Amino acid sequence: MRLKILTVDDSKTVRIIVKKSFKGFDCEITEAQNGVEGLAMAAKVDPDIILLDITMPVMDGVEMLTKLKSDPSLKAIPVIMLTAEAGRENVMKIAKIGVRDYIVKPFKEEVLVDKVSRVVDLRPAGEAEPKQKKIDDPIEVLVVDDKPAIIEQIKQGFSHTPWNVNGVSSTGEAIDFCQKKLPDCIIISLSLPEDAAITLFRIIRSNAKTKYVPLFGLSVKTAVEEQHRAQQAGFSTIIHKPIDFDELENKIGKAVNLDTSGKYFQMADGFMTVRLPKTCNASVVQEVGNYLKEKTSEAVNSGISKIIFDAQEVASLNMDVIKLLLQSMKTCRDLSLSYALAGNAVVRDESKKFEESKDWQFCDSVETAKASL
Amino acid sequence: MQQTFPISDQELEALSTNAVNSVFNTMLNQTAVVQEVIKVDEENYDGGMSVPIDSSEPVIAGTVGFLGNLTGIMYIFMELSLAMDATCELLGLEAEEIGYEDHELVNDAIGELTNMIVGTFKNDLSNKGYECRMTIPSILRGSNFSIEPAEVALRRIYKYDCGGRSFVIDVLMKEEN
Repeated sequence: MRLKILTVDDSKTVRIIVKKSFKGFDCEITEAQNGVEGLAMAAKVDPDIILLDITMPVMDGVEMLTKLKSDPSLKAIPVIMLTAEAGRENVMKIAKIGVRDYIVKPFKEEVLVDKVSRVVDLRPAGEAEPKQKKIDDPIEVLVVDDKPAIIEQIKQGFSHTPWNVNGVSSTGEAIDFCQKKLPDCIIISLSLPEDAAITLFRIIRSNAKTKYVPLFGLSVKTAVEEQHRAQQAGFSTIIHKPIDFDELENKIGKAVNLDTSGKYFQMADGFMTVRLPKTCNASVVQEVGNYLKEKTSEAVNSGISKIIFDAQEVASLNMDVIKLLLQSMKTCRDLSLSYALAGNAVVRDESKKFEESKDWQFCDSVETAKASL
Repeated sequence: MQQTFPISDQELEALSTNAVNSVFNTMLNQTAVVQEVIKVDEENYDGGMSVPIDSSEPVIAGTVGFLGNLTGIMYIFMELSLAMDATCELLGLEAEEIGYEDHELVNDAIGELTNMIVGTFKNDLSNKGYECRMTIPSILRGSNFSIEPAEVALRRIYKYDCGGRSFVIDVLMKEEN
């Protein structure tokens, strides 16, 4: 997504210089000539950053900044003031209202670009957007907890993944970490002293660089009060201790928008195998179902015409799984693909109990299923 | 009775030259040198005074005022061809892309250069303890400019050379009680 920069200046010259400065970057510049137009434009385009002049007719930059910071839907937009007036009095006044930085005119274009890139992720034009990460790609998980044992437990819990779990014990260390390396997700202990979790949440959400990083609160299930406060502050996902790592892995995968299809779909030797995991709850079934169409097309396009549905690890057959398999088998028939089922004894027994699956034939291994086609 | 001005002539010339060169170096990659200084005080003031700019072509004047402990106004006068060149350099455009008829863009560019020069001047005054606020820049075009100021304690006209071409900074100011 292109970065959106709003320049608010009564001088067309400055607006042209701003456009010229960012010509080589992947961003879209919108313009406003005074504070009134600036506020309207900010509400309309939701910019990632605003470059704001101070001395302007109609509504000056200080008044616009004051109004912007009192509007809940606009106050998180970072502002850099661009001004010819750098007196102490002025700087103190705008600092109190809340600006990220200020640039005194005259200025070099490089200075403008440098200051903006410290606040937002400025990418050169033509540079590809980061590719969607896959389940087996390393991602950076930051855990903020003052209890080393919990950090160690999370590291152990994800030791089967290529994920890098980084532990820090305080808000300051977490901010320092984010400045050096942007984590893919952050897990914050809600029991940090002095409501530090909520403070950290606000700092992360008000920084343009980190505002989209998924955040999880971590709390003992019975600590209802701290969870309630965290939810009020804006935490939307809270992980309970003791941690269910399958659940946490799924939640992180979704929040980070990981391509998790590799967990379920494998293509090799002329076969596509759809492997269903041990815990096949509704969210897992939905996840597999979401990838099914795309993966089946991919298989067909690469010349694969045989599909194996592998339910050997499934602990229990439920209606969600049956519906998924029914839908998958129908897709295979529609596309004239041949398919076979592999399942353990429990799955075979349970399938007899449902009208929809009572006639299904399961092979006892993937190899047998492949041989049957 | 002439008011004693709190800033010496030497300081004022340094403030003006620093402001001009800070803007010219940063925005236009150029440097200006003082060629001539004209001092106008109550004692030798005898009405309107023509701006000493060597030009047979129209002149453009940018002006910004400042109000506070020190109140005054600064003008920058330059011939139109120099204003065009400055606009091209400032905006990274070729002369053909602007055209002599595009008054609005050239006016705006000279207005912004004036704003930056006066802003730097004002910030230096602020560092010396004189807080003031700036006005929004305005632009005049014409020939044979003559400035007839309202009551001021001090007026200094600095004629600068910039790569063989001249322009003028006219500073008028007084200290507020």
